[in-house]
Amino acid sequence: MPTPPEKKTARPDLAYIERLIDDRPADGWFSVHRDAFRDPAVFELEMRHIFEATWNFVGLDSQLPNPNDYLTTTIGRAPVVVMRDAEGRLGCFLNSCRHKGAIVFAANAGNGAHHSCPYHGWTYDTGGRCIAITSQRQGSYSPAFDAMEHNLARVAKFDSYRGLLFASLSADVPPLDEYLGDARRGIDLVVDQGPDGIELVPGAVSFTYNANWKFQLENSSDTYHFIPTHTSYIGVLEKRRTARAAASSSTTAGSIYEDIGAQAASRRGSFAFPHGHVLMWGDNPAVEARPLYPMLPELEKRVGKTLAKWMMYVRNLTLFPNVQFAENASMQLRIIRPLAVDRTEMLAYCVAPKGESAQARIKRLRQYEDFFNPTGFATPDDTSAYEACQRGDEAHTLDWQQGYARGIGAMKAGGNTEADELGIKPDYSSVGGYRMGDETIFHANYRAWLELLKRGIARS
Amino acid sequence: MKVDLAEAAALLNLEAMLLDEQDWDGWLALYEENAEFWMPAWKSETEPTADPMKELSMIYYASRSGLEDRVQRIRSGRSVASTPLRRTAHMVGNVILMPDDGSGLASVKSSFNVHVYDTRAKTQHVFFGRTTHRLARRKEGLGIRAKKVILANDCIPTMLDIYCV
Repeated sequence: MPTPPEKKTARPDLAYIERLIDDRPADGWFSVHRDAFRDPAVFELEMRHIFEATWNFVGLDSQLPNPNDYLTTTIGRAPVVVMRDAEGRLGCFLNSCRHKGAIVFAANAGNGAHHSCPYHGWTYDTGGRCIAITSQRQGSYSPAFDAMEHNLARVAKFDSYRGLLFASLSADVPPLDEYLGDARRGIDLVVDQGPDGIELVPGAVSFTYNANWKFQLENSSDTYHFIPTHTSYIGVLEKRRTARAAASSSTTAGSIYEDIGAQAASRRGSFAFPHGHVLMWGDNPAVEARPLYPMLPELEKRVGKTLAKWMMYVRNLTLFPNVQFAENASMQLRIIRPLAVDRTEMLAYCVAPKGESAQARIKRLRQYEDFFNPTGFATPDDTSAYEACQRGDEAHTLDWQQGYARGIGAMKAGGNTEADELGIKPDYSSVGGYRMGDETIFHANYRAWLELLKRGIARS
Repeated sequence: MKVDLAEAAALLNLEAMLLDEQDWDGWLALYEENAEFWMPAWKSETEPTADPMKELSMIYYASRSGLEDRVQRIRSGRSVASTPLRRTAHMVGNVILMPDDGSGLASVKSSFNVHVYDTRAKTQHVFFGRTTHRLARRKEGLGIRAKKVILANDCIPTMLDIYCV
């Protein structure tokens, strides 16, 4: 037999990947190489060794209130279905028929006890069991086939924290509580906003942008971009504020950023946790602009003054690698789905405490649409900026970004007064004026990123 | 309200032209001050949201001031998503005059294709769907009291502004 030609190794090796992060705390320096954003081979590794090798957010249990409810999503490249079986137990499975791989659950969400593959009709229940193989008896199968299991494949790990569902395609992950660590307090600040928890407001919005997923990962914690990127939005808010002062009422949304001077005079801080999770926070001098504000007395009674104050803060929480809660006035849950090295899909929901007043809900909706929608005033400028970065990063003769240096002088190992208020012990923290625009918060994202890639490459 | 089909269709065509020509003042003048502009989001593959006070919309403005805000942003030169502005070509068709419901407004349904070209990336896409206009008689001619847009392809490539539908 002729020997096959030597395989060209398109896959980068360990040394190549390690070279992408320049992490020298002693020199006060951190940077990410532009290849991390533009090399398709890096993207392939990210899919295999990050998204398909660690915990991913897959939904909220409140999306599946009834037996036989299901929703579909993805983990890395893999289509998955999360469902509640007839007895009410939640499970997560690869959404792929064992016969020839077809998607069994075609809808975004639904309810039904039995689900047939559209191709040859193999049928599964909501516990993932294969309950019928079409014409099995007449099929002249071999004993080898009969001895096989034909159920939908369960993901390796599936667990939840406070109603947030997470799954991993790899069994080699820390327990979920350990993985989330003190970032769980950031989740608590979201979930505890309503006496009966939170819900997704009906209506989801998805969008794509032609740039790397890590631009979105970073932007959520990026206080530096807000004023330069959203100048036109701030201008609209100023106009509205003037109009509101002139008229007794207004139908426009209201925003915590209407008085940008007051925001710019406030503080911003960062907490970085193990496994790449981060929490950006900021004082909110315009607390009455928040739809949550009318609930403040109830919150203070239920969770205490300190946590209630934290709920009123600006807070953006990133749970590495695929989910972010962004809360300035309204609140957004966004799920990051990388499609290619230069293409990303986002799925976003408006999150609200259950049982808030009709008036507060309207305010929340209008603020959300105004700020967070790809059809609104803020997000399109963010995504357009990511696309500008992606096109600019095609300057292949340039290597290192200079975007991770702000705030290094203000970094502090461990926690600070604010961390003590929350009872958390972050890896490191920082606090400063609004204009500091801390960028050290991203270091934690990339340390976890590199750790997972190195581990994956070493094993493969 | 008595409106004939040709008059209603002419208004829809005029709106499309004004948007394509980026004549924002001309476009805003078609809207009454209390005009509602509503583009629902989708709850599922088959059902758009139905109540903008309880469910999420893509865009919801209770009055023309929301549209004026959009124009201010477009003109500001400070929105990276709007500078340079995408070019569009609106095609409005299947214009149907709905039976008079006695409300004093005329209801007109239509379909749209809007071709959108991004000059930076040299890419193009199409937004398409169905629109319902509610028209009122003014001394200067027909005006828009309400516009509801059902966007059929709701996974938005980067951005959608009021001139893209």
